[in-house]
Amino acid sequence: MRLVSWWVRRLVSAVLTLFVVSVLIFAASRLMPGGFAEVVLGPFATPDQRAAMAEKYGLDQSLFSQYGLWLSAVLGGDLGTSLLSGEPVAGEFGLRIPVTVELTLLGIGAAVLIGVPLGVYTAVRAGQRGGGALGRLAGGLGVSVPEFVLGSLVVFVFSRYALGLTVGGYRPLGEDLGANLRSMVLPAAVLSVFAIAVTARTTRDAVMNVLVEPYITASVARGETPLFIIGRHVLRNASIPILVVLTSTTAYLLGGAVIIEHLFNLPGIGSYVVQAVGRRDYAVVQAGVLLAAVVFVVLNMLSDAVSGVLDPRFGTQRKAAG
Amino acid sequence: MRIRRFCTALAVVPLVASCAAQAVPEPTATQVPGYLAAADGALPPGGTVELQMPVDTGAAGGLDPQLADVAVSWQLMSLVYETLVTVGPDFEPLPGLAQRWETPSPTEYVFHLRPGVTFSNGRAMTAADVVGSVNRLLAGEGVWRTQIGPVESVTALDPATVRFKLSAPYTPFLSALANTPAAVLPMTEIENGSVDPAKTMLGTGPFVDTFHRQDVLWRFKRRPDYWAPGKPAVDAVNISIVPQEPTRIASLQNNSANLAVLGNVDAPQVLAGVRGVTVRAQSTTDFYYLMLNSNAPGGKFADPRVRTAINIAMDRAQIAEVATNGLGKPTGVTPVDLPDACDPATLPSATAGLDRARQLLAEAGVRDLKFVITAYATEPAPAVAQVIQQNLARIGIEVTIEQLDEGSWAGKVYGSVPAGFDAALSWFAGYAGAGMVAKWWNPEQAAFNLGFMKPNPELNRVIDKAATEPDGPNRAPVLRELCTAVDEDAQMIPLVTRPVLVGYRNDSVSPTVYATEGYGNAFRGLADFRLVGRP
Repeated sequence: MRLVSWWVRRLVSAVLTLFVVSVLIFAASRLMPGGFAEVVLGPFATPDQRAAMAEKYGLDQSLFSQYGLWLSAVLGGDLGTSLLSGEPVAGEFGLRIPVTVELTLLGIGAAVLIGVPLGVYTAVRAGQRGGGALGRLAGGLGVSVPEFVLGSLVVFVFSRYALGLTVGGYRPLGEDLGANLRSMVLPAAVLSVFAIAVTARTTRDAVMNVLVEPYITASVARGETPLFIIGRHVLRNASIPILVVLTSTTAYLLGGAVIIEHLFNLPGIGSYVVQAVGRRDYAVVQAGVLLAAVVFVVLNMLSDAVSGVLDPRFGTQRKAAG
Repeated sequence: MRIRRFCTALAVVPLVASCAAQAVPEPTATQVPGYLAAADGALPPGGTVELQMPVDTGAAGGLDPQLADVAVSWQLMSLVYETLVTVGPDFEPLPGLAQRWETPSPTEYVFHLRPGVTFSNGRAMTAADVVGSVNRLLAGEGVWRTQIGPVESVTALDPATVRFKLSAPYTPFLSALANTPAAVLPMTEIENGSVDPAKTMLGTGPFVDTFHRQDVLWRFKRRPDYWAPGKPAVDAVNISIVPQEPTRIASLQNNSANLAVLGNVDAPQVLAGVRGVTVRAQSTTDFYYLMLNSNAPGGKFADPRVRTAINIAMDRAQIAEVATNGLGKPTGVTPVDLPDACDPATLPSATAGLDRARQLLAEAGVRDLKFVITAYATEPAPAVAQVIQQNLARIGIEVTIEQLDEGSWAGKVYGSVPAGFDAALSWFAGYAGAGMVAKWWNPEQAAFNLGFMKPNPELNRVIDKAATEPDGPNRAPVLRELCTAVDEDAQMIPLVTRPVLVGYRNDSVSPTVYATEGYGNAFRGLADFRLVGRP
C-alpha cells in the first residue's frame, strides 16, 4: 500500500513538473527577442504578409490563448506545426529521433563497456601502483573537459587524420551501416567521455564500499576466484548506484547530444531544436524542450522502479525519508 | 612514466598535424578570364557532387521562387528553375530560355523562346508559361515584383514569342529577368492545382530535386531530357546543410565533401597548403552598409550634418583590409564590380577629411556623441563593426557594439516603426544591374526601411534617373550622381563588398565558378562540373 502511495505521489509530482516546464518553455520562447515574422519572412515582408502569417499560426492571439491551444493540442498528441517547414513537428521529430537515440545509446554503451570495468579495475587496484593514478586521470579529464572543447579538438585532429572516420558526413543507419558508423564513432566517443568518467568513478566508489564487507572476506576465505567474487557479489551489490548514475547520465547525454549534434552536424533532435531557436520556430522549440523534460522525468522514474526491483528496501526508504 | 608519454603524445599530435601540411599545386586549375575556375570538359561525365552549404532556404514562402528573397534560396532553386536570360561572368545578359531577343523601343522587348525546352514532367514550355509567370509575379507580394521594373504588359505573340511592354525605360530589365524569382514556372499545372510551387519544384532546369529535409540535406539528380546537350555533366548533386564552419572545413580536409561555402575570411590561410584543397574568394556585388536611424531616440542622427560626419569618418579601405582580410572592396551604392559603377574614392565623404567631419559635428552642436551599433554575430560583421568603432573614435564618437543573433537583430531593426535602434550593420545583395539595389534607398518603395529612414525626394529622383538612363556614355555620370546623392543622404552608408569563399577538393572535382557574382549564386555553373578521378 505504501508502495502504491509512493508511486501515486511520484506520478503527481512528475505531472506537476511537466506542467511547470510547459509554462516556462512557452514563456521563454515568447520572451526571445525578435519574432518569427522578422526572422523567416525577412525584412522585405509587408505588414499584410506578417499579419497573415500571425493569423495562420494563431500568433495574433493573446499569450494565454496561445498557451491554452498549444497545451490542449499537446495533450491530444499534437505537437504542433513547424512555422518554417509547415510540416507537423511530430513527423519532423520522428525523422530525427533515430539519430539522437543512436548517438545516446552509443554513448551510454561506451559508458557501460568502458566505465564499469575501469571503475572495477581502479577499485580493485586501489592503493596499488598505477591503479589510483589511472582512475584520477580518467575521471579528472573526463569530467572537467567540456564537450565543445574536446569535440572541437577531435574535429581538428580528425579533419587532418581521418583514419577512415568522417566528420559531418552523416548517413542513416538503414542506408549504409558502415558509413553510418564511420560518421557516428567520433561524436559518440566525445559524448561518452563524461559518461565513462562518471560511471567509472561511481563504480569505483561503490565497489570499494562492497569490497570491505565481511561477506567478501568470507568469499576470499572460501577460495572463490576474483572474477567470481566480482561478478557474483561485488557488482550485484554495487549495481544500484551504478544503475542510478547510468540513468541520470543517459538524461545528461541527451542534453549533451545537442552540442555534439551541432558540432558534428548530425541531423538529430538536438541540432534541429538549436536551429529552431535561431529561427524562432516556436512550435519546434516548445516541443523539443518538452520532449526532453518528459524523457528526463521518465528516466528518473524508471531508475527508481528498477532500483526498487533490485532492492525492495528502496521504496520503503524513500517513504521513510519523505 | 606511461602517463607522461601519453601527455607528450597528446601535445605532439596537433603539432605534427599542423606541420605535416604542405603546399601542393592544383592539378586541375584552369585559368579563364572571368572565372575563378573552369571545369575541365575532357574529364568523363557522371558521379555525384557532394556540396556543403551553411544554411538552407528559410523562407515562409516555402519553395516558391517568386517569394524567395535571399541568395541561398536562389542558389538552390536555380538548379531546377530557369529564366529567360542569364548573366555571364562580366554581367552581360546571355540567352537562357529565350534564344534571342529584340528591343524595338526602349520600352519594348520581344523574346524568342528556345525550342525543345520541357518541364521535368515532360510538358513543353510555351509562351503561355512565360506570360503566366510574369503576371503571377506582378500580382504577388515577392520583393522581385519591385526589382523587375515597370512592366505594363506581357503578351504571347505566338507559342514561341513573348512581348514585354514597360511603362518607362528600365535599363536593368534584362539583369532583373536573369534572377531566379523571374523564373518561368509551369503555369498550367499551377493554375489547375496539380502543382503547389510552395511545396514542389517543377522547372525546366538541369536537375530535379528528389529529396529535401529542412536544414539537413537536398538531393538533386540530373535530367536526361535537359535541353542543353551534355548537361548536366554529373549524375547527381547532394547538398548538405552544415552550419558549423569547422565541420565544413573538416569535411573538405578529409574529402567527405567536394565543395563547401566557407564564411570565415581567414579560411584561405587556415586551409593554405592542405593537400588537395583549394580556397577561392569570389567577388560579389553584395555589400555591407551602415544604417543610421533618423528616428533614433534622442534624435542622434536627425541632423544630416551628424550623419555626414560619420560617413566621412568611414575608412572603407581599412574595413576591407582588416575586417574582410583584403577580400572585400570599398564600394558606393553602385556595387563596385558592376559596369559603370562609381569610384568610391571620389565620393564627397571620401575626399572631405576628418577635420571637416569634426567641423560638421561642431556646427550641429554635437559633443560627446555615443551610440550603439547593432550587428549580428555572423562573421565578418562583428569585425566590420569594430573597424567602424575605431574609425569613429578618430572624430570623438564613442561606439558600443551590440552583437545579436540573427533573430534578435532582425527584431530590433525591423520589428517596430519607428525603429528603436541607434545604428545597425547589415548587407544587401547587390544584384547584377548597377541601379537595382539603390531602390532600397527609397523607403516609399522599400517600406521595410520606413522605421529608420526618412524619404528624400531628391534622392528618389536620382534613383529613378539611374534606373532609366540607358547604357552609353551618359550612364556612368548618372550613376556617379546616384552615389553622391546616397553619400550625402547618409541614412544608409555603403561600405565594402562582401566576398564569398568557395573551398573545393581539386583532386575530386573540377568546378566552374565565376570570379564575380551578382546573385549570390556561387555554384551557378553546377551543370558544368566534372568529377576528377572517375574511370
